[in-house]
Amino acid sequence: MSTAWYALLGLFFATYFVLGGYDYGTGLLLARARTAPERRAMLTAVGPFFLGNEVWLVSAVGILFGAFPLLEGELLSGLYPAVALALAAVLTVTASVQLRSRPASDRAKHAWDRVIILSSTVAAFAWGAVLAGLLQGVPGPVLTSFVLVCGLAFVALVATHGAAFLALRLPEGGFDKIGRKLIPLALAAVGAATVAGLLSSRVRGHAHRPAVVIAGLALLALGLTVARVTLGRRNGVAFAATSLTLAVPVLLVGATMWPFSPVTGLTVADAAASGPTLRLLSWLAVPLLPALLGFQAMCWWAFRGRIDDRTPVYW
Amino acid sequence: MDPLLLARLQFATTTSIHFLFVLVTLGLVTVLVYLQTAWVITQKPVYERLTRFWGTLYLINYVLGIATGLVMEFQFGLNWSGLSHYAGNVVGAPLAIETLVAFFLESTFLGMWIFGWHRLRRGVHLALLWGVAITAYASAFWVMVANSFLQNPVGYEMREGIAHLTDFGALLRNQSFGMAFGHVTFAALTVGGFLIAGISAWHLIRRTADYELFRKSLRIGVVTASIGTVMVTGFGYAQFGYLGTIQPTKFGDEHDKMAAASDFAARFGGSAADYLPPEWIGAPLGFMIMIANLLGLVVFLLPLFFRDWIIRMRAPLYILLFAVPLPFLAAIFGWLFREVGRQPWIVYGLLKTSDAVSPVSGGTMLASFLGFTALLLTLAITNWYLIARYAHAGAADPSLGRQPGWPTQDHERRPEPVLA
Repeated sequence: MSTAWYALLGLFFATYFVLGGYDYGTGLLLARARTAPERRAMLTAVGPFFLGNEVWLVSAVGILFGAFPLLEGELLSGLYPAVALALAAVLTVTASVQLRSRPASDRAKHAWDRVIILSSTVAAFAWGAVLAGLLQGVPGPVLTSFVLVCGLAFVALVATHGAAFLALRLPEGGFDKIGRKLIPLALAAVGAATVAGLLSSRVRGHAHRPAVVIAGLALLALGLTVARVTLGRRNGVAFAATSLTLAVPVLLVGATMWPFSPVTGLTVADAAASGPTLRLLSWLAVPLLPALLGFQAMCWWAFRGRIDDRTPVYW
Repeated sequence: MDPLLLARLQFATTTSIHFLFVLVTLGLVTVLVYLQTAWVITQKPVYERLTRFWGTLYLINYVLGIATGLVMEFQFGLNWSGLSHYAGNVVGAPLAIETLVAFFLESTFLGMWIFGWHRLRRGVHLALLWGVAITAYASAFWVMVANSFLQNPVGYEMREGIAHLTDFGALLRNQSFGMAFGHVTFAALTVGGFLIAGISAWHLIRRTADYELFRKSLRIGVVTASIGTVMVTGFGYAQFGYLGTIQPTKFGDEHDKMAAASDFAARFGGSAADYLPPEWIGAPLGFMIMIANLLGLVVFLLPLFFRDWIIRMRAPLYILLFAVPLPFLAAIFGWLFREVGRQPWIVYGLLKTSDAVSPVSGGTMLASFLGFTALLLTLAITNWYLIARYAHAGAADPSLGRQPGWPTQDHERRPEPVLA
């Protein structure tokens, strides 16, 4: 049962990176927009989905606490600087996206836009750093060159994903071109992260299944290549491909170390909550998960399609 | 610096800020449900305008509720890894349920509600707001279940120094839970009622446009505040009945208090004095009761609805305006009593606060405390400023629920309609 919960935990984090990823990708690409209407259109593209995207993180950490209390304590405190940075950035993005359109003056809105750009970039970097921190194992020093390179690689992946999302929602915005330019950069960054990982003895020590690493990296490269080919022609496919690139890192962290958790020497089964707690949560999750997914799907369906002047604007 | 002290300060600051915003969220969403339901049933435009105006304020306030809630959630792991280590099996379950059942759905529904005006059918749109309100209360429910375990641990057994869940039903039947949950929800209603009454009074004092709309709001606010204060007081005093039994060091008589403290000292080491809460702990309780008694007088405003005396006499409007901060203060005092009163325990009689703090250096903890406090305070002040501006701007044309493509009327220019 602990395996199923570990998979569910992975699913929630991966979905958060995919959905929150395009929030942050859009946020950091605001830097590319020159005019206020361009920025307005980009934020409108994210609008209805934003709250529903961010909440996957809340639930992922909730599952971590409920089903893996040991991991929750060890990992969050063990990766303190990276997690605290991610948290600060995420809450700043959340607040600034929602408050951005409330001030009356254009100057204030523009200032909020800069906050969104900065905090989205930091959020992407910090989540990359957290994932890298997990790969090199806890406890141990957090700020290594591997962590820094992974943080940068994640920024590149998130930016590419944001461009693919915007290309889908705002076909006339020219984001397919931006996305195509970003992809070689993202590939190079992933390559650099791979090299940094190979050079780090801690990462090598914790990778119990090197085959998974190779498969994961192949998937990343495949996703980016497919996105590169399809952006501008079939943006839906490109978006699916970049989504894959943000889900794969989570899979990589979980599967490479299996059956161990990122805490050195602690298996996933030992890190899980005791039987009665897991059983209770399972009884709850079985009917609940379809409902959660159903309501999220309802939101995607209700606000699907491209942006036009009938699109509701609020944030 | 001492990591324990810093971690406690950080928790106190974050929770206080969080509490101020979630009380408003919970109070306002209840009134919004009434307003939008009335709109759908009666089809009167005034209810639509009321929903949009109070909805705008609700949404601005909601932003900080989420932001601080996120910090709260992470803080358990960042600063209090001992809690998840020793009691995570029990306390983690209600919190996990809270995020999945309540928070997740609440945000999903709210996103659809905001953007669903003029797009979804009215019935669906109303159902979404009901969903937001129900899940908001569910959220309070599960958070209080978890908190009540910390106050009065039940339904567990200790094996190898770690608490394991044995009886989930016991968590829900926890003596510390029921009355406290009622207390918190009606405190939220009190806060919401006074906020609505105060802002309406402001407009009526200044004789702004929309007399009819703010007259209605004022009445709704005063009625909500009256129900809230009566009930919150009842649920408050009801807790005195058992508090001395389950937490003798917080609220027992002198004999019980010393007996419990000596017993703790014998079992966990140290002297009896180490197991008593700080001496000033009676003060917040006293202040809270004093404010509650004062706020309770709001029921005497109800007869003044007759022929709108409440507005024509003017004085009640000023009283309501100046009363706005009081329920917030009372809530913080009440929270201080509940949480500081059980010190030195993080889980009463089971796990000491000092044993639950993460093994993190003082420097890291200090940076985290200063950073997050500065960030949250900045956001909170910005948020209150925006709420005040929107409250002041009135209900002429709130941005929430505006028809796409309509010309703008208010101070805020319509977000640029031209899209790429």
